[in-house]
Amino acid sequence: MTANEILDMLRGILYTTGVFNFHWNVIIMWGVASFFIYLAIAKKFEPLLLLPIGFGIFIVNFPLVPMMGISADGNRHLLEIFYHYGLQWEVIPCVIFLGLGAMTDFGPLIANPKTLLIGAGAQLGVFITFTGTVLAGFTLKEAASVGIIGGADGPTTIYLTQHLAPQLLGPNALAAYSYMAMVPLIQPAIMKWMTTPEERKIRMRQLRPVSRQEKILFPLVTAAIIALLVPSVMPLMGMFMLGNLMKESGVVGRLTETAQGALMNIVTIFLGVSVGATMSADNFLSWKPLFIFGLGLIDFGVCTVGGIATVKIMNLFLKEKINPLIGSAGVSAVPMAARVSQVQGTKYDKTNHLLMHAMGPNLAGVIGSAAAAGMFIAMFD
Amino acid sequence: MKKIILLTLIVCWIVSVSGWSRADDFLGAPVIPGGEQISKTKKRLELNSEKTHAEVLQYYKKALEHFKDIKYRDWKDATYIEDDGNLKWHSITISKDDANGALVVIMKDSWTWIIGTLILRFFGVFIVLLVLLVGMSISGAIISRSVKKMEAKKTPAKA
Repeated sequence: MTANEILDMLRGILYTTGVFNFHWNVIIMWGVASFFIYLAIAKKFEPLLLLPIGFGIFIVNFPLVPMMGISADGNRHLLEIFYHYGLQWEVIPCVIFLGLGAMTDFGPLIANPKTLLIGAGAQLGVFITFTGTVLAGFTLKEAASVGIIGGADGPTTIYLTQHLAPQLLGPNALAAYSYMAMVPLIQPAIMKWMTTPEERKIRMRQLRPVSRQEKILFPLVTAAIIALLVPSVMPLMGMFMLGNLMKESGVVGRLTETAQGALMNIVTIFLGVSVGATMSADNFLSWKPLFIFGLGLIDFGVCTVGGIATVKIMNLFLKEKINPLIGSAGVSAVPMAARVSQVQGTKYDKTNHLLMHAMGPNLAGVIGSAAAAGMFIAMFD
Repeated sequence: MKKIILLTLIVCWIVSVSGWSRADDFLGAPVIPGGEQISKTKKRLELNSEKTHAEVLQYYKKALEHFKDIKYRDWKDATYIEDDGNLKWHSITISKDDANGALVVIMKDSWTWIIGTLILRFFGVFIVLLVLLVGMSISGAIISRSVKKMEAKKTPAKA
């Protein structure tokens, strides 16, 4: 064997390594991945999702790794399989909604159904952002998927984006979960700006107790109404209500426990890592993700304004006034946004506990953002 | 040499301009040939085609096959072709009443449509949740009443 042949062999081996196929843009993506892993670990911002998303971004941004793509013989790579069957088939967001339903107590919403309207008002930003996104040159479908970020509902954002603009899945999901985690930083200033000191001290009557029968009937009534009015979101809402019926019926404890525990955790891993895996340098490094992050922040702000403004309008007609601080909870982000209302409420009156009152609009926000998503799907399907 | 370049440029310009003016389109949307133009503004073109609805639809399906984000809606009295992308035109409506040829209307993409549909859909969310509010109130009232009745029955029995 000659020296040249040995060198050729060595070269052949070296060119199968990532080192010789390296491109500078992956370094930026490592930075992006590290940032989200840092937020998850050090700041504890939505760690259950940002950690697997961050790692997904990190792992796909190495040259030649067979993680996200299709091999020469037509087989899907590992993360591509998770992505294809979990997200492209729109399975994971619906299974997450099943788990969320099994965790949720709709009592505060049933006790004070008026708060449903706050959940609708808090979708204002979704529609305003749509306009801004179209102005920036996005297509209508992309604009709808970016707008829904303000609904502050991760699974709904992922479901709609996958449906309308799958190319934006990574940035949209990241923006949604990042801003959901930053609700305590974003909302208080808007809440203060939108309310007077007197309004912040409004005391609300204690919520009435809700019977078990009402709680059992709620998922059935909601599923029926949503199925009739916005059938396109029934995969999400149907699973949400199934999970809740399982919980409230009290007869399928094992199923409820699985849905809210093991099943939820399993799909969360697959969701996070496959969303992260969509963010290769080629897909991510453009002006669009940056724009989405910028607009997402405005979107969140306008949704918060929408929720508070709705309460103020309702107060014009109501005898028993609602504390407008619970309006901000209409942006979904359960239960973080409700906690923000509680913290802000006690800041101005230490004995005024708003948590349970804020849970009503908070849960209404989940239904409202799903309804908004349904409106968009109906617009394009 | 300069004359040759200038002449070539002029020829290219004439060819391109004549090609552009020959193209049968309105704001980039193909216009079915052979139609009689009824009205034309900057925003709207209306023409009466001598062809039937099915023939016009077939023409547009072929003409738009390479366009992304095109949606066909089958309405009772017309077929509505809509662009959800970034094209300059928004819709092509082909009437189904084709006794005297199908009526074709091409509309410019406009903010009126976008804003209009957004406002309607925003209020649509309110209506959905309002209906849910009514549904919950009715079902809640019925259940509360029946629970109270059941409790009232139980109380004398215990007594």
